[in-house]
Amino acid sequence: MAFIVLAVGGGLGTAWYMIEAGSRLSTRSSGPWVTWTTAGRSDADPYTRAHTVRNALLPLASTLELTFQAKTDSGGKRLSPACEYAIVVEGLDTGGWWSLAAFDSQGGLIQNSAERYAFTSDTVMREPDGRAVITLARDARSGNWLPIGGSSRINLVLTVQDAAWAAAASEGRMKPLPPIQRVACR
Amino acid sequence: MKGLPTLPGWLGKVGWRTVVGALLLGGIIHIGATLAVPLVSNGHAFARLRDTLPVNRMVILPPPAPGRQPLPFLTPDAFYAMCRFDVSVDSVMVTALMAEPGWTLSLHTPQGDNFYVLPAQAQRRQQVSLTVVPGIDRLGDLVAAPRRLASDETQVPAPTWEGLVMVRAPLRGLAWRAETEAALRRAACVPVKRQ
Repeated sequence: MAFIVLAVGGGLGTAWYMIEAGSRLSTRSSGPWVTWTTAGRSDADPYTRAHTVRNALLPLASTLELTFQAKTDSGGKRLSPACEYAIVVEGLDTGGWWSLAAFDSQGGLIQNSAERYAFTSDTVMREPDGRAVITLARDARSGNWLPIGGSSRINLVLTVQDAAWAAAASEGRMKPLPPIQRVACR
Repeated sequence: MKGLPTLPGWLGKVGWRTVVGALLLGGIIHIGATLAVPLVSNGHAFARLRDTLPVNRMVILPPPAPGRQPLPFLTPDAFYAMCRFDVSVDSVMVTALMAEPGWTLSLHTPQGDNFYVLPAQAQRRQQVSLTVVPGIDRLGDLVAAPRRLASDETQVPAPTWEGLVMVRAPLRGLAWRAETEAALRRAACVPVKRQ
């Protein structure tokens, strides 16, 4: 009995973890942001391939575009709709295109009356110095407000399309990504 | 000893041969389960889209909205045109206008592998045309790599008989919605007789 529990439980449990959460074998991190380094590529490792299939993803090859996901803020606390967060984006669009979107834990968009689900390098309003400050909050805020109410779990997805970025990341030289600062909670 | 976690009582009675055997079998199960997921899963992107996309025809999808997303975690501020290609009988010609930076034309296998991608060039609208041809022989072996036949024609061998073509057109704002949609409507997917 112990043999079966150890073998089946251990085998399936570790496989599930490696496919869902990933490890240093298949992912790279920059602060709270995590990317699957070979996502979309024909030479993707088995964990990345299983992750892509299980989550019904259709990623572009990570040689062109990187998709980062964050479930926590920069302090390591789970993103919560009861809190307000500030994300300062700078240095991302040195020749590429980016998008920051908020989803629930299943990858669904979060219903909101403003019908706003993402900002991109084309749609975000910038400060005079070129930075973009995006505020995530349940209630309306001035500037680049991304609503996050209506979901118990929040996943932020940052997509960066820039071949130079992608090449640097594949060589292990991950550029710093925007921190997710918790401003206040209620 | 204080501070160290204590193992469950039943685990202490397990012999080392059992533990080693369980680890070996667990490893086999781990590898088998990981490799099996792409083969047995029926919830992948291609399976989700198969019923909504006619074969070898481009379909413009509405921008993703809550409860109306073709796929999870798809960038929402964009229009998408998709085509489910099948090259088992004919090849498929794909044309699209790459209008702005951020636009991409990508080809995917049913398992989600992106075997070809073309991004739009900055400061340059580009009409692209490519032909998706079978890249595998009847035994399932890969036979060719993408090749450029002329300045305006590229042949892309697909590693699978079926797959998806996706054109992503980021929305620059509501004012550009009609213009973006019109440019995306120039994307097409047409079967062509194999030479």
